[in-house]
Amino acid sequence: MDLFNNLLMGLSTALELNNLLFCLIGVVIGTAIGVLPGIGPIPTVALLLPFTFGLSPASAMIMLAGIFYGAQYGGSTTAILVNVPGETSSVVTCIDGHEMAKQGKAGTALAIAAIASFFAGTMATIVIAVLSVPLSVLALKFTAVEYFSLLVLGLIAAVVLAHGSVAKSLAMVLLGLLLGLVGIDVSSGVARMTFGIAALSDGLDFVPIAMGLFGLGEIIANLERPAERRVVSQSIRSLIPSREDLRAAFPAMVRGTTLGSVLGVLPGGGAALPPFSSYALEKKLARDPSRFGKGAIEGVAGPEAANNAGAQTSFIPLLTLGIPANALMALMIGALMMQGIQPGPQIMTEQPKLVWGVIASMWVGNLMLLVINLPLIGLWVSMLKIPYRLLFPAIVLFCCIGTYGIANSLFNVWLMTGCALLGYFFIKIGVEPAPLLLGLVLGPQLEENFRRAMLIADGDFTVFLSRPISAVILGVVAILLVALLSPAILKTRKEALAE
Amino acid sequence: MTRFRIDLQDLLFGLFLVAVATGTLVATRNLTVGHAADMGPGYMPRVVAFALMGFGLFFTGRGLWRVRVGIAPVQLRPLLAIVASVGVFALTAERLGLAIASVVTVILASLATREGRIVETIAFAILLSGAAVLLFVKLLGLPIPIWPR
Repeated sequence: MDLFNNLLMGLSTALELNNLLFCLIGVVIGTAIGVLPGIGPIPTVALLLPFTFGLSPASAMIMLAGIFYGAQYGGSTTAILVNVPGETSSVVTCIDGHEMAKQGKAGTALAIAAIASFFAGTMATIVIAVLSVPLSVLALKFTAVEYFSLLVLGLIAAVVLAHGSVAKSLAMVLLGLLLGLVGIDVSSGVARMTFGIAALSDGLDFVPIAMGLFGLGEIIANLERPAERRVVSQSIRSLIPSREDLRAAFPAMVRGTTLGSVLGVLPGGGAALPPFSSYALEKKLARDPSRFGKGAIEGVAGPEAANNAGAQTSFIPLLTLGIPANALMALMIGALMMQGIQPGPQIMTEQPKLVWGVIASMWVGNLMLLVINLPLIGLWVSMLKIPYRLLFPAIVLFCCIGTYGIANSLFNVWLMTGCALLGYFFIKIGVEPAPLLLGLVLGPQLEENFRRAMLIADGDFTVFLSRPISAVILGVVAILLVALLSPAILKTRKEALAE
Repeated sequence: MTRFRIDLQDLLFGLFLVAVATGTLVATRNLTVGHAADMGPGYMPRVVAFALMGFGLFFTGRGLWRVRVGIAPVQLRPLLAIVASVGVFALTAERLGLAIASVVTVILASLATREGRIVETIAFAILLSGAAVLLFVKLLGLPIPIWPR
């Protein structure tokens, strides 16, 4: 059986001693980042990218993936204990989780969150493994024409499902595409928009852009609204949930996992949408919905499972087709490119060890999270006591050194400064910067495949519609765009994404 | 009087896009555009710039027309402190070395909030600088001088 062999191969990669170590480093750093409110996983991954250059591609991806799902997990600790979401995806956990903590059941809430996350992580790993094979077979039929259509679908779908105004997100994607065009044109060797700056001839590095837009811009905006943090002062007594608690939580976990796995695969879904949907579902299914908001255990178990499952299945488009579903996956693609791996539909056949190693490591990493985190809960709680006034200058410094370190270039530090201003501007005018990052990373591939497709078809634009796979993909794009214009769907989308 | 109110968020975004699109069209004016079957280096930048221009004009128009959406007032202190600290890092890192640049960067960044205490900030800055040197230069071999050359 192919699937079994693949998973075994993946496990053998994931269980290599150095990969285990990087997985551990990843989940620990991820949890720490998730616990600390004020810095999200995107700037963290960007910040740590330079560290991964010396590693093998598999180790690098394993560590970066660990940071991502570790951060998802860590966010729930903060949500439960402080009522501040460490990550956007933990917003829902605040509602009932913190209520449970106030009732003296902080330990139970934390344990349920951990168990739900682990359960969902395990299931999502299986989903990824099962889905990967047929998708990679399909991907082998792809030429430049299909890949271009797929890239368009990825970008459009990410916009449709992400937060904020669709028109603004589309404009941001275009802005990202434009930034992606800076540099020497591969076909003709002509410098484009480099303004005579030598550092620009290789194109804009996306790490300084991500750090400036997401990290520094956010820090500046955060400092404008000083939030106070109060840790629930009671000690965490019992971490072992009672049998009734488990019985109440388990069905919610299963539903949350299913919902999260489905929503996670959709581009743009990532980790934000699943917990909200799961919470709504649990409330609808509950015999007594009024318990929600007052410490209902299902309100923690469902969203936590959905959150973790979604975080993991959002890797599917990346690992099988080479297309990022959200800004964080775009960073992962960037990490692969810096390792000299060209992401694309061939990624599974060309890099099976890498892909299956990352998939298997997710399960290993989830196990680590379960084992390390519950006993170490005291450590994470004490991390919450680091005041922001010390935290943010440290982040600023590490951003500076990290950006410099990518290419030993001060130009990148200046670029980051500019992007910090830009990021602040975007926050002020209420525009999400994530689509820009997607456009930036996918821009060069989009152009390359478009040009190649046009070259094959001799400039005939109908080629995108006359090839069946491409036509289907573009059909989905059209449906998405039409759906966007329908007021009913616009309204539902607004409600679904409302925080 | 509603006609004279403006949506500042949309308007600023629109104007920003128009500026970027104009800049792109100017910057790429000498590049060959080519045609679809054989695209020159200027083809894609033009296409994207025109699309951006369209979006920019749309948002500018909508911003002028729609009911006002305010913008939270800009606080200069965090903005200037963070930007200045990163800028100072860029200016000093290679000349004065990582140790000094780190201390200055951290202290400047700390000024972004009023909560900082001088002694604590300086001690923390020196501590961080040491950690950064150990981690990045000693451990990771980043080719950056530690002290002024």
